[in-house]
Amino acid sequence: MTEGFRERIAAALDNQNLRRALGNFADAYLGARENAYQGKDFEAIRRKIAGIKKGAAENMEELAHRFTRAAEKAGAVVYRASTPEEARDYIKNLAQARGVKSVVKSKSMVTEEIHLNRSLKEAGIEVRETDLGEWIIQLSGQKPSHMVMPAIHMTRGEVAGVFSAETGKELSDEIPVLVKVAREELRQKFLAAGMGISGANIAVAETGTIVMVTNEGNGRLTTTLPPLHVAVVGLDKLVSSIGDVAPILEALPRSATAQHMTSYVTMITGPVPAMDRAGNPVEKEMHIVLLDNGRTKMASDPVFKEALQCIRCASCLNVCPVFQLVGGHVYGHVYTGGIGTILTAFHHGLEKAESIQSLCLGCERCKAFCPAGIDIPALIRELRARITGRKGLPAGSRFLLETVLPSRSLFHGLIKAASAAQKPFVREGGYVRHLPLFLAGLTRGRSLPAIAGRPFRDVAGSLPAPRNPGERIGFFAGCLIDFVYPRIGEAVHKILAGMGCRVVFPPGQTCCGLPASYMGAPGPAARIARQNIAAFGEDCRYILTACPTCATFLKRDYPRLLREDGEWAGRAERFAARVVDFSSFVSREGFRPAGGFAGTRITYHDSCHLKRNLGVFREPRELLAGAGYDLVEMKWPDRCCGFGGSYSMRFPEVSRSILEAKIKDITETGARVVATDCPGCLLQLAGGLDAGGRREIRAAHTAELLCE
Amino acid sequence: MYGLFRERAEAVSARVIRAGGPGEAAGALAGIIEEEKVKKIVAEPSGMVERCVRILEERGVLAEGGQEGGGRPALFFRDLRRQAGDAGLGISEMALAVAETGSLAGDCTSMESRLVSTLPPVHVALVPSSGLVATPGEAIERFYGGGRTPGYLSFISGPSRTADIERVLTIGVHGPERLYIILVDEEGGGGND
Ligand code: SF4
Ligand code: SF4
Repeated sequence: MTEGFRERIAAALDNQNLRRALGNFADAYLGARENAYQGKDFEAIRRKIAGIKKGAAENMEELAHRFTRAAEKAGAVVYRASTPEEARDYIKNLAQARGVKSVVKSKSMVTEEIHLNRSLKEAGIEVRETDLGEWIIQLSGQKPSHMVMPAIHMTRGEVAGVFSAETGKELSDEIPVLVKVAREELRQKFLAAGMGISGANIAVAETGTIVMVTNEGNGRLTTTLPPLHVAVVGLDKLVSSIGDVAPILEALPRSATAQHMTSYVTMITGPVPAMDRAGNPVEKEMHIVLLDNGRTKMASDPVFKEALQCIRCASCLNVCPVFQLVGGHVYGHVYTGGIGTILTAFHHGLEKAESIQSLCLGCERCKAFCPAGIDIPALIRELRARITGRKGLPAGSRFLLETVLPSRSLFHGLIKAASAAQKPFVREGGYVRHLPLFLAGLTRGRSLPAIAGRPFRDVAGSLPAPRNPGERIGFFAGCLIDFVYPRIGEAVHKILAGMGCRVVFPPGQTCCGLPASYMGAPGPAARIARQNIAAFGEDCRYILTACPTCATFLKRDYPRLLREDGEWAGRAERFAARVVDFSSFVSREGFRPAGGFAGTRITYHDSCHLKRNLGVFREPRELLAGAGYDLVEMKWPDRCCGFGGSYSMRFPEVSRSILEAKIKDITETGARVVATDCPGCLLQLAGGLDAGGRREIRAAHTAELLCE
Repeated sequence: MYGLFRERAEAVSARVIRAGGPGEAAGALAGIIEEEKVKKIVAEPSGMVERCVRILEERGVLAEGGQEGGGRPALFFRDLRRQAGDAGLGISEMALAVAETGSLAGDCTSMESRLVSTLPPVHVALVPSSGLVATPGEAIERFYGGGRTPGYLSFISGPSRTADIERVLTIGVHGPERLYIILVDEEGGGGND
């Protein structure tokens, strides 16, 4: 981990203003965004945008040429900069050649990416950010904490302090007053500036047009008053034709700020008339700096080219449970959150992304919201794999992944040893309250369950079978059910047997391999995949698991892992096609729960993997309601619980804070029971309820609740 | 379409007035000038704006020839870079009104059209009601169709706004604080409903 990273996380978690601001925003955002999209087909829009931007990324070089020709024809000067340094120098030299003393800027992330302000300032040129948030950040010498709302971490009192210092007047902290101050102060700068610098949200190759999407009006002023306009545009902003603009405009304001349209959308083609301060017409100059800085490299990468589809709406930050807690500062660079992790790797260097990639929980929530159709968590996993590939795994992890996980007996032996070792710490009720020293972080705010005395694999053979068994169902237990929650396995077995299924438990099965993959070790993960596929053979009609995380990995990732592995490619495909999760299987096969739970108030927590990767969320609810439970929904039932496998061990503080919010939502429903389909969520929720003193609320797997 | 346009434009804090023709539009304009108590007005020299201004001069609402006099506000069509800075109201013409988003769309290539719609605290836009279109995409097509390329196409949706301090929505940052939209029907024709 880079120096200071953990400290930044700790500081962010401690910053109550930030937590409150981000938390409130996260709640408000979801509803507002949904309203803005009312009557729109989000899936259709995102397919369209993904198509447009994918095509653009694949033809970036050609589009850059076409754009240059068209913009030059319209009278603009286009400069192609490969590095931040080239871009900075071009702009600085231009300013000096024209005798520019002061510059106004409208919001542009790409100019932050190249640290433009610093270089202009060093050349003795005054630079003013004019977007209100950016100006606050500039005056206070801070860094933006959010792509769309750069000063979201600051209170009105802090802003009043910053503005008072700037204006030399004692200002009240009323927001309209502060906004007015900004208007008046910056108006003078607009009128006097010799150069206006803007970014662009879209650049159209067909016409040489740049499109700017803004709210405050500073974008129009920046491009109207100074006689010299410089637009800095990343190559990722290019699209082919003017018809590509509308679909992006349909999504960008809705996803970014839940608006149908921002106050201003401006489409500029070439220099337009300008006047000097006396009102005499002057020749306007327009320069467009097309910036590469890693973008062509990204475009030629078979995996990461997808990130070029990003339209910088920041919705992936707004819905990310980690970002909601820690904000943008911990990411340490211009681009933050999940997508920022990828962009940082390409624009600032792979090593800069090393720490921050580990912040992703893999909850997949961002992916469901991205209007550009980017699979952000998959890109982060790939990034992780490449970083690990370059640096190698730490010795301890390597031993674990390469030696322990594939060997069930060794794994089990170690687990048993751990189970024995933990005995002194197990309190009644089967929870480990306190762990000795180095493991202490694991149990703060969450009790860990004790390792089961007898794993499921030792019980499986002795479970009753139906008299006339029907279809053969292979049960994949996964680590948590096998070693921590065998009772879930027993419940599943009982229900399936009751439905007349012949349930088999191939003993050769092991961990699903996801931890290896998430740690960036595709080699060991593939080895584990082959082992499991072999263990199940070809003669089970279905391979059923009651762990959605395992289900996702078996179904989605095995074929991908073994794609180029000879006969295993086909076997993995056939294996994956037969994998089903517990709830959708029993619901589809018409399982009727016994019922008799009328009046028990229950709430349901959606596991990230079940809801977003497998698309299953209706089935468990219907099953529970069918059993007579009185189901009440909690607020945001599909918000991550913060488990994320080994994540809760790497970032216990982050995981714990996410869990606390979840426990609060559960408690507010007044439910006696919280159900979930994921043993990992169960571990997290049960531990959080226990540690938080809410022991009257029971956490249980759907299967357990259905067979009681 | 008019109903949706009005609803969406008002939702972003614009005020929408429908006028049966230039005479009514001039009347609406006079009402706004009165309500806003402005002393100085800047206007884009374009067909519909000039027509309304002439009517107001005839009615004595505005002093003739841009001179302030008898308590009547002065109106400037020229020298706008200097005049717009302290004007209380700017008048421009926008070609299209977009129903789905409550936006106006217009070719603002002329410096005058941009100055009057950015610098004063109040912006009044005159829009022919035949310019109602359904979506921003349709508006873009109208302007870019047939190989044309406007130099500076503006979409304007409500007055300028920010939520940069504590996410509290505040109207009126660098651009206008108030936006009035006067949709003007053609004389004799009903306009585009
Ligand atoms: S997968 Fe979850 S944790 Fe990772 S970036 Fe997306 S929302 Fe954040
Ligand atoms: S990755 Fe997707 S959701 Fe995130 S900023 Fe880019 S377009 Fe928006």
